[in-house]
Amino acid sequence: MEFVVISTLNGVIYGLLLFMVSAGLTLIFGMMGVLNFAHASFYMLGAYVAYTLSGLFDFWVGLLVAPLVVAGVGILVERFMLRRVHAFGHAHELLLTFGLALIFEELIKLFYGDFPVNYQMPEALRFAAFTVFDTDYPFYRLFIGVVAVIMFAVLFVLLARTRIGIVVRAAERLPKMAESLGHNIPLVFMGVFGVGAALAGLAGAVAGAYFPTNPNMALELGVIVFVVVVVGGLGSLKGSLVASLMIGLFSSFSIGLDWSLAGLFDLVGLGAWAHSLGGLMTMTVSSISGTIPFLLMLIVLLVRPAGLMGDRN
Amino acid sequence: MRTPLIIAAVLVALAAVPPFLGLGLQNALVNVLIASLFALAFNLLIGQAGLLSFGHAAYFGVGAFATLHLMRIIEDGVIDFPTPLLPLAGAVAGLVVGAIAGFFATMRSGVYFALVTLAIAELFHALAPRWQGLFGGEAGLSSMRMPWGGITFGSTLQVYYLTLGWVAISIWVLWAYTRTPFGRLTLALRDNEQRVRFLGYNAHATKVIVFAVSAMFSGIAGALQATSNEVANYSLFSSHVSAQVVLYTFVGGSIVFFGPLLGAAIFTLFAYLISDLTRSWLLYQGLIFVLVMLYAPAGIGGIVQTHARHWQRLDWSRLAGPYALGGLGGGLVAAAVVFLTESLGVLFDEAYAVARRGAGGGYPPFEAFGIPWDPLSPVTWGVPLALFVVGLVLLLRARRAIAERWDAVRSAPAVPAAGPGPDARTASTQQIAG
Repeated sequence: MEFVVISTLNGVIYGLLLFMVSAGLTLIFGMMGVLNFAHASFYMLGAYVAYTLSGLFDFWVGLLVAPLVVAGVGILVERFMLRRVHAFGHAHELLLTFGLALIFEELIKLFYGDFPVNYQMPEALRFAAFTVFDTDYPFYRLFIGVVAVIMFAVLFVLLARTRIGIVVRAAERLPKMAESLGHNIPLVFMGVFGVGAALAGLAGAVAGAYFPTNPNMALELGVIVFVVVVVGGLGSLKGSLVASLMIGLFSSFSIGLDWSLAGLFDLVGLGAWAHSLGGLMTMTVSSISGTIPFLLMLIVLLVRPAGLMGDRN
Repeated sequence: MRTPLIIAAVLVALAAVPPFLGLGLQNALVNVLIASLFALAFNLLIGQAGLLSFGHAAYFGVGAFATLHLMRIIEDGVIDFPTPLLPLAGAVAGLVVGAIAGFFATMRSGVYFALVTLAIAELFHALAPRWQGLFGGEAGLSSMRMPWGGITFGSTLQVYYLTLGWVAISIWVLWAYTRTPFGRLTLALRDNEQRVRFLGYNAHATKVIVFAVSAMFSGIAGALQATSNEVANYSLFSSHVSAQVVLYTFVGGSIVFFGPLLGAAIFTLFAYLISDLTRSWLLYQGLIFVLVMLYAPAGIGGIVQTHARHWQRLDWSRLAGPYALGGLGGGLVAAAVVFLTESLGVLFDEAYAVARRGAGGGYPPFEAFGIPWDPLSPVTWGVPLALFVVGLVLLLRARRAIAERWDAVRSAPAVPAAGPGPDARTASTQQIAG
């Protein structure tokens, strides 16, 4: 029971964090058709900018300013780079963001070194929110979750209830038509790219203080975020919320399970044979928990490429 | 044309020069050859079939592990197998795994194809360190090359010639493949898949075959690496390996057959030559890649090809000036960027923080390029910044002049349309057929 409760809490909060990063990615893909390989780099950039600012000023200054800085970087990337290669096709846009991801990682290493930096939450937030089964549950984890929920609410209201949201959704569905009606579509694209980057930067600024802030964080999270976006359906915000929570729960539960294929065979009396085979048969779920998201992504891509909630192929 | 002559000259040089080189350089050349083959195999997919794979490390790694398993069996004396034919194991493993993976991956196209290949490679990367029997766990597998037919395969030079032989033959086969009717069909698939289907061809089967062939040659490249290093571990499957081959291919130019080879050779040699001098080599690599994507999407090979094609019509007395100006500007910008990067690298290093504490919190001079610099002096930062700006202005001027001259060349009658470097066409519109 303790395992279930703690794993559920951790899973949901990790899922919400994944959602903060994947929301921008899926918005950008839905609108511009660009799968942004540099998106997780914005997450990393957010963490490092917030770390630097929290050293100079205050944790809260870092938390508020880092997303703005990252948004600025995102806007520059869209305006002066992506727009330039747009004429060469989607493959080149993909490759450009891929190259940018490499550059961001190396720049971080140049300025901050190869090892994790000491980015910490303020003392005021370092307390136990509640105690479950004699374990103190850190308040900061809940804080990460709350930030993600607020962000989702704001984003949802913005997209579904405001005039800006209508223009953005129109630009996503029929860009040519929206442009003919007098809307500045390149500006909308730039804005969406900037907002997406800011969301990733905010996620980095919040999560970096709890999880390690190191130059590998973009690579580690980047692939998982792709999984989320694909499983949820490229371009679907609700889909990526569901997929984020799913992947979050999957990964927090799978580390604690010692099931294996051989164990499955035990149930039908073939356990000894399966154990003698070794290899894949005896690997426990916990030891291969890293592979589960990729398997899920493969299955979704092959069976239903539109994802759980996507509507296009 | 002169192409066969150039190829013959390169081959002769590759065969004749290495005995006179040091051990380190011989090793570097082995890596150059392996990277070249890997990049060309990768480019079979993107350049010919228009499929962008982000997980080619999977087939490279599978080839390496298969070869190591074979080497271990030979080492144990179970079977007698000629050492020079070891890469066959990599070829078979690459072909089989490539056919299976390709069957699924090519069910999708575009971004979705790239994501499937990425997921497959990540699966291997996540699984390999846990799978003791097949991939040797986190430590990986190791073995020894056995002597065969009077050759010991003990020296780097012997390994080099073995690699050269395999790479030369493989590249020839890959080139010949593009000339076959089936190779032409792959090109047609890239340009208009629907039309290919209407003509009665089975598009999916064709793509699976191309994918499998590409994976097979990647497997050979991996096998050669395993033969040379005698070890392999799960890091062969990492996204870093997949990324490198993408970089090589696109900087070299994916629309020209020998382009990827050029990119692989330049990058691998540079990595060997300057990796001792700088820690920022990967940063420069990324910068070069992004600049090529932005300003010369056809890559170095594309630029060379355009020049070769218009050679007769180029008036070098008018072009030489702007080219020299552009070269000077580019050189200044590069020098400034390198100086700033290296200086920042030193200043933000842990060692400098220690030096500052030693100097009582002040800013002691730092050393870059063997010369001490004062970090507070305006000269240290002003001069490179000025060089950067001057270089940029020169570069922009040269670019305008070059574009003007090239427009004249392009608009001349009876010449097939093709742009110069800065506005060369993308793969989908530019024909390789010429």
